[in-house]
Amino acid sequence: MQAIILFGVLVSTYLMIIAKRLPALISSFRIQSFFLFLATLSIAVNERQLDLYIISGLLFLIKVCIIPHFLYRIIKKIKVSEDVGMLLNVQISLLFAFFLTYLSWALSGKIISIGNQAQVVVLAVSFFAILTGVFLMIFRITALSQIIGLLVMENGLFLLAATVSGGMPFFVEIAIFFDVFVSVVIMGFFIYRINKLFTHIDVNKLSRLKG
Amino acid sequence: MQIFLILGIPVILILCALVFKRPKVFGIINSAGYLMVLVFSIILLRKLFFLAPAGFVSYLGFIYLDSLSAFFIFVTSVVSFAASLYSIGYIRNDLDKEKITEKKARIYYLLFNLFCLAMFFVPAVSNLGMLWVSIEITTLVSAFLVGFYNTKESVEAAWKYIIICSLGIILALLGTILFSYAFAISGLSRSLNWQEMVPVAHILDKNILKIAFIFILVGYGTKAGLAPMHTWLPDAHSQAVSPISALLSGVLLKTAIYAILRFGIIVVKGVGFAYFGNLMILFGVISLAISCGFVIVQKDLKRLLAYSSIEHIGIICVGFGLGPVFGVIGALLHVYSHAVTKSLMFFGAGNIINVYKKHNMNVIRGVIKVMPFTGIMVLLGMFALAGFPPFSIFFSEFLIIAAAFLKGSYLVAGLLLLFLSVIFGAFVFHFGKMLFGNTPKDMAVIKEPLSVKLSFLFLFFQVCVFGAVLPFIKKELVWFAQRLF
Repeated sequence: MQAIILFGVLVSTYLMIIAKRLPALISSFRIQSFFLFLATLSIAVNERQLDLYIISGLLFLIKVCIIPHFLYRIIKKIKVSEDVGMLLNVQISLLFAFFLTYLSWALSGKIISIGNQAQVVVLAVSFFAILTGVFLMIFRITALSQIIGLLVMENGLFLLAATVSGGMPFFVEIAIFFDVFVSVVIMGFFIYRINKLFTHIDVNKLSRLKG
Repeated sequence: MQIFLILGIPVILILCALVFKRPKVFGIINSAGYLMVLVFSIILLRKLFFLAPAGFVSYLGFIYLDSLSAFFIFVTSVVSFAASLYSIGYIRNDLDKEKITEKKARIYYLLFNLFCLAMFFVPAVSNLGMLWVSIEITTLVSAFLVGFYNTKESVEAAWKYIIICSLGIILALLGTILFSYAFAISGLSRSLNWQEMVPVAHILDKNILKIAFIFILVGYGTKAGLAPMHTWLPDAHSQAVSPISALLSGVLLKTAIYAILRFGIIVVKGVGFAYFGNLMILFGVISLAISCGFVIVQKDLKRLLAYSSIEHIGIICVGFGLGPVFGVIGALLHVYSHAVTKSLMFFGAGNIINVYKKHNMNVIRGVIKVMPFTGIMVLLGMFALAGFPPFSIFFSEFLIIAAAFLKGSYLVAGLLLLFLSVIFGAFVFHFGKMLFGNTPKDMAVIKEPLSVKLSFLFLFFQVCVFGAVLPFIKKELVWFAQRLF
């Protein structure tokens, strides 16, 4: 079961790397979050803890329903082109993704001592998601794809925290959820402002401040 | 008990800001509130730093304070009181000139209090996860204050600020999770409370601690403005409302340093001092080098001060990296003396920019004739900031350089002296031209409002008396520095 979930996270992350349009990016983010939800739910069922059920419920509500919906609404409202603004084309991005996969595999092998293969895989997948988030933030130039990059990083961290270190304390987890949600709302607010003042959301053209 | 008042007063002020209709009057209530916060934080500092230095205050398993936290709360309260005092005059001026509406002024006070509340939370919480959440909240709230004037420049600065700091802070969360992982595999009960992690740090997995600390340093270092992750800092500091620039530079950067220190203490116990020290010195010296270059060629007044913040954060990191006793004392004192001096300078810059309506230093001439009070304060503050004796920064820098020599790190000492002297020259050059020089035509002599003058004098007093106070508290400082790591 865990293998299928991890595979799902991996595939949806690859989908994000090759996505050319913003709606595609958002829907792959939704798929990734859904697999995360499944992962936490399976842990919750195994350990029979109320805390984990609440966390997985919140995850479903915030990351699968509200945030993607909010991002779709931004796209509809600001009426910019739906292009994600690739600095690297799909082929090179894909090569990068292979490299990042290898890198995260190597790194997680270093961190976890020998004999714990299952944990190495989990760690590798979550590192891969984190690195992909960084990749999206650097090589996609619209403000919206930067937000999604951040969210992908956060998803990777969540997977790491939930599976490897046995989760954060309950109230910290709740606080982090709240925090992520608020930060997405605030960033969305700033996207509206950028669009209003500059009539685009291309962050590469935000270059009035220098030196 | 004091800590609940320190955290409670901003909460009450937030509620007042929501209901109170007249921002001009509210400013006075606001600074009265922060005066109370300052008094309570002094009581707390006295209790934890001087009376019972090994003691701690703990409530509900959620708030935990020792002498280090008390010190950072004190620094935060000093600068937030000064900023609230300065805000009265600054916001009134903006309202009179119709730069902002009454509604916007109310939003300003609301955000100001939220921002201060989040910063008071950072040293107060015991849980490293909650520490992360508090620091992230400071970013989210202050992003609005950076983009407050809603111009193209300020919105751009706010966007860069929020994105770069969120990216950094997510790396810090990764570091935090790795710390908790190290704790989880050691077979002890799971916890993220730092006071429970420190005593068992020596049995944690060394490799994981090392990797985790790199993420912490890069992550919180982004927020602290360490080069090369500093790119958001000059933009945000130059575009924010001036009292907020002082808060950003004076305390926000220090809260991130506090976070790095908390993890650093665990790493030092687990891995040894050399690893922590070398990393801190490395990032500190890089910050000094990069800021030095930008200070020389700078044209924008507030950006100049922002780059100088990067320099001083670099000095603080070098100080902590050099270790006990002199390095730590110097760095700790530098946290305080930089906070008061830089706030003074940002207030001065705010006054100058309000009158000249330009950030460009080539246009600003003859400040001392147009605004005698601000001009003299900025002149003295400039010397204080550049590390001229009898002012406070001289003492802390002196201690740090002495620590470098005593430790035998002549390269570090030499680099510090080189960069400091270059920056000194650049400061005298830039400010000399601005303060003296020919006044532009049709500029009348301008008088500052009382609240602004008070805030200047309040900060300047601390810049000056610092050296005189130092001999009286040296025993406590040495004791504190020996026990920190």
